[in-house]
Amino acid sequence: MNAIAHPAFSVALTIAAYSLGIKLHNQWKWVPPIVVACVPIIVVLLLCHEPYAVYNRGGNLLSWWLGPATVALATPMYRNGKVLRASLPRLALIVVIGSIVGMVTAGVTAWLFGAPLPVVMSAVPKSVTTPIAIEVCRELKGIPQITIAMVLLTGVLGASVAPPLLRLVHVRNHHAIGAATGTAAHGIGTASLVRRSEMQATASSWAMAAAGVFTSLLAILLRLFLH
Amino acid sequence: MIARRTIAFLRGIAILTAFLFIGQFLHGLGVPIPGGVLGLIVFYFALSAGVVQLDWVDAASNLLLRNMVLLFVPLTVGLMDMVGLLSRQALAIAASLLVSLAAVVLTTGLLGQWLLPPDNEAAENGGAQPIRTGRESAS
Repeated sequence: MNAIAHPAFSVALTIAAYSLGIKLHNQWKWVPPIVVACVPIIVVLLLCHEPYAVYNRGGNLLSWWLGPATVALATPMYRNGKVLRASLPRLALIVVIGSIVGMVTAGVTAWLFGAPLPVVMSAVPKSVTTPIAIEVCRELKGIPQITIAMVLLTGVLGASVAPPLLRLVHVRNHHAIGAATGTAAHGIGTASLVRRSEMQATASSWAMAAAGVFTSLLAILLRLFLH
Repeated sequence: MIARRTIAFLRGIAILTAFLFIGQFLHGLGVPIPGGVLGLIVFYFALSAGVVQLDWVDAASNLLLRNMVLLFVPLTVGLMDMVGLLSRQALAIAASLLVSLAAVVLTTGLLGQWLLPPDNEAAENGGAQPIRTGRESAS
């Protein structure tokens, strides 16, 4: 029985690596904490020749909190609720269009590059939060592992790329930045905004939840269309 | 004082977990929305209706939200097991990812900049003042 097999070791290692990520992120803003957090863990696992499944016995204990954290997103949503309520129908329209654009461009691009149908279907829900994306992927007969990878890469990339990309095209509206980041980069994008501006995070968490709901519903339509 | 704050924190965790349970229960009954998001929606309505007060959950929510990246770390580490699977379709996956990410960010961002009321003039368009929480630039 080695140390890594203990769930407590995985949890301690993960929190330590995350703290390092936050520390470096506070020093240099462009460093994504999630990448810094993952590298030491992967290095430890590779050096010890331990498979991911062993690490994930403890990792699961942390992943479980994504459920309560998803519910907790209602708190910033509600706090700025009065500000959002005025523009909520417009926000909803924007997020629906964003979700359709995300599903169509992801699927069509993968298809144009010659990916087989299951990979194409795995790409379709890649903009939404992991638990929803996995369910949509299964509905569409995709490969959940590919969807998870794409969701996480989209989140990591989106969290660091979306704000500068929006600055480049002169999008300065807090709600527009939030809506774009939440629709494109789900929880990881939202989490990066939570540390930056609550108004952006509110629009982002609302957009992230809405994009999840809309994508689930649009996936039902897509499935009917395919049959 | 510390004890009261700890109780408030634990109460928040219990409330969030209870709404997660409600969401997952409704999902189990056949509602096609995943449990976490369903819990979020029900919790949002509970806050709007005043069934749950914001300060009951504030401490717990803030801890989870501000450290949400931590909760994604174990899943992200899982990428190490998918190297073979990913490398076979690497080009299609990378292209799909980049094109779609740029398309969604630009469509949503530009539509938002065009359609949504400016931050400072929200009052003109909706009659509501933006709520300043003092956390705007916290990081």
